[in-house]
Amino acid sequence: MSRGLLAVQGGLLAVVALSATASSKPGAESKPAGLPDASSPFPKLEGWKISDGPTTYTPATLFEYIDGGAESFLQFDLQDLTSATYAKVGAGNDKSRRPSRAPRDSATRLAAAAAAAEITVDLYHHKDAIRAFGIYTQERPAGTTPLPIGIEGYAGQDYLEFVVGSYYVKLVQSGGKGPSMLRWFADKVAAGLPGTREAPAVLKCFPDRGKRVRAEKLTARDFLGHPFLHDAVAVPYEVGGASFRLFVVEGKDSAEIRAMVKRYRAVGKASDAGADSAGLQGTATVKDPLNGEVVLQWKGRWLWGAVDQPCAARQALVDELGRGLSVLDK
Amino acid sequence: MSKTKNLERRDFLKLGAGSLAAGALSAGCATMASSPETKMPPAGAAPPPKPVPAAEPAPVAKTVGPPRRTLGRTGIEVPIVSMGVMNADNPNLVRAALDGGIFLLDTAHGYQDGRNEEMLGTVLKDRKRDSFVLATKVHLSTLDRKTGLFSKQTRGEEIGEKLDISLKRLGLDHVDILHLHNQSARESVLYPPVLRALEKAKRDGKARFLGLSTHKNEPEVIRAAVEAKLYDVVLTSYNFRQDHHPEVQKAIAEAAQAGLGIIAMKTQAGVYWDKEKESPINMKAALKWALRDPNVHTAIPGFTTLDQLQTDLEVLRDPTLTDDDKRSLEAPKVVGFFCQGCDQCLDPCLEKLPIPDLMRSFMYAHAYRNREAAQALLLELGLPESPCDDCDECPVRCAKGFDVRQRVRDIVRLREVPREFLV
Repeated sequence: MSRGLLAVQGGLLAVVALSATASSKPGAESKPAGLPDASSPFPKLEGWKISDGPTTYTPATLFEYIDGGAESFLQFDLQDLTSATYAKVGAGNDKSRRPSRAPRDSATRLAAAAAAAEITVDLYHHKDAIRAFGIYTQERPAGTTPLPIGIEGYAGQDYLEFVVGSYYVKLVQSGGKGPSMLRWFADKVAAGLPGTREAPAVLKCFPDRGKRVRAEKLTARDFLGHPFLHDAVAVPYEVGGASFRLFVVEGKDSAEIRAMVKRYRAVGKASDAGADSAGLQGTATVKDPLNGEVVLQWKGRWLWGAVDQPCAARQALVDELGRGLSVLDK
Repeated sequence: MSKTKNLERRDFLKLGAGSLAAGALSAGCATMASSPETKMPPAGAAPPPKPVPAAEPAPVAKTVGPPRRTLGRTGIEVPIVSMGVMNADNPNLVRAALDGGIFLLDTAHGYQDGRNEEMLGTVLKDRKRDSFVLATKVHLSTLDRKTGLFSKQTRGEEIGEKLDISLKRLGLDHVDILHLHNQSARESVLYPPVLRALEKAKRDGKARFLGLSTHKNEPEVIRAAVEAKLYDVVLTSYNFRQDHHPEVQKAIAEAAQAGLGIIAMKTQAGVYWDKEKESPINMKAALKWALRDPNVHTAIPGFTTLDQLQTDLEVLRDPTLTDDDKRSLEAPKVVGFFCQGCDQCLDPCLEKLPIPDLMRSFMYAHAYRNREAAQALLLELGLPESPCDDCDECPVRCAKGFDVRQRVRDIVRLREVPREFLV
């Protein structure tokens, strides 16, 4: 997925560094010692000590940490999750008090406030940066104010979440001093993580008019409920009272995109508005039994279009999106 | 293209229960007699579970159409297949499931950090309240997931606070089933502050019934649920790959006898046989395996595609575990299709063939059954006319164990197939 969508990546953090001291508790896995502490994503911080962990969970054991929520992380090719809890030195923290993950609603914050001063850092390590950013977009609530940490982050009174490279990072604080402490922690953790600080380049191709800001969602597989559509970005729009989404699917190559179009045409009634003889580019409208009328355009390794409420402005925006993608390919 | 692929919304209506008698969803309205239209799955080759005389007998509801079972003492008649919504981010898929006759929807407070409940809210606002059964789960932040125990700081009130948030996201004033999420220890299932909080949620009218979910130590948890005499429903992992599934089955039977409703999850047993995700499990057979236990009242497979929904609706219509199904649940010995691109094959190959690309084409053709994409890729590779013919013995040793020469010879023939035959 990441080839063209990302300007920069690689982000293969030495997994060994993640878990240089990973525990071998039930449900967790140990990994061999690797890089020195200086390159660990769990930095040494004055006045704090790691009171629990780091503990690494694999895809097979992730559910023990985050219940059925594990499934959505696996859809985004989670490689492992490493968690560590920091406690204030001398604060008499008890690891049994720490929150078990980083949910962010008010109820959890109330519960957290009853506990001692601790910060739990969860590093969700995904296959690549696009997938880490993808699960982040799936979980990001509407209306958040972005923080310039890594690619992007956001925070509440007792939680902070951000994505950098192939890492989706969640911090939750219990009994601490408010957001400033979390931000300080987050900056330290982010500094130790490799990988891109740039959002996927394809996001810049979406026209600004009517776009809902920071509402894009990346879907790794089964986009629009179809198994042949994967690695998609969808952005919601509101124009003239109509709500719809523009989307882009990036294929491995033009052959795969043509195959997607062929399979989509077979799902519902399709009407072609034009395609070249080799099928390398074209436009079509599919009456999708799940999603209604879907506009498709394709060229090379890109398939893009619109779904949900049709309106006059929609087609113009689809065309504009296509022009943006062609610029990306140059 | 098969009829399955051309599925229209109206086909779901034909398959499923379609319109539901609202009264059937109300507690206490279960009919105890079975009807000729109701078809129950026969026992399979594995030792069949012994049906347990339920506290309220005959868990088969009198309905026309797909099989339903009565969800224990809740009295709710549920289709034997329900929907685990956790992975679905497309509201249209939920709508299609509801239109197809599935009406028990399972989510959780924590799924997608709340976005899953919000997505469901967009669907449910357009539906009559008595046309669906909504189950959600709340977790307590003070549960130690390693020990399964609540810490001393546990506040039962957290349940009510989270439930209020969930109700707001869902746009509902009550849920039908409120589960205590992810229990793995008897002590926690019986923890008094938690029991009091659950009871309060029910008393306040915010949850019609109470349950718990368990992925681990299921027999202990299920028996504790019976012991507590508070829970109405148990949501448990249950699949053919669990080493301890006979013990889970036994605990399920005990709970069903005590009048609890039993919902099975993780019936798809990880979806793939292998960690490389190359060898998929027969989902239909795996779901049928769980449903052949008459003490399982419904299952909540997760699905994210129209095709998967179609598969589940087919099981809903006919859950019979066939001999072919049973055979498909025997672990295969396959090396799979996915080339990991290690490139170890490139140097040894005397013809310097682009073997990883050829393996990808092979995968398109045989795993994805997409011969058009396979051929298009082949034609881009600039291959010699007869690859592999000049070598008496192939020096390539694939790290994945592929028989490279055999696969190359097989796939290159596709170059000659006319496009119109590539269906």
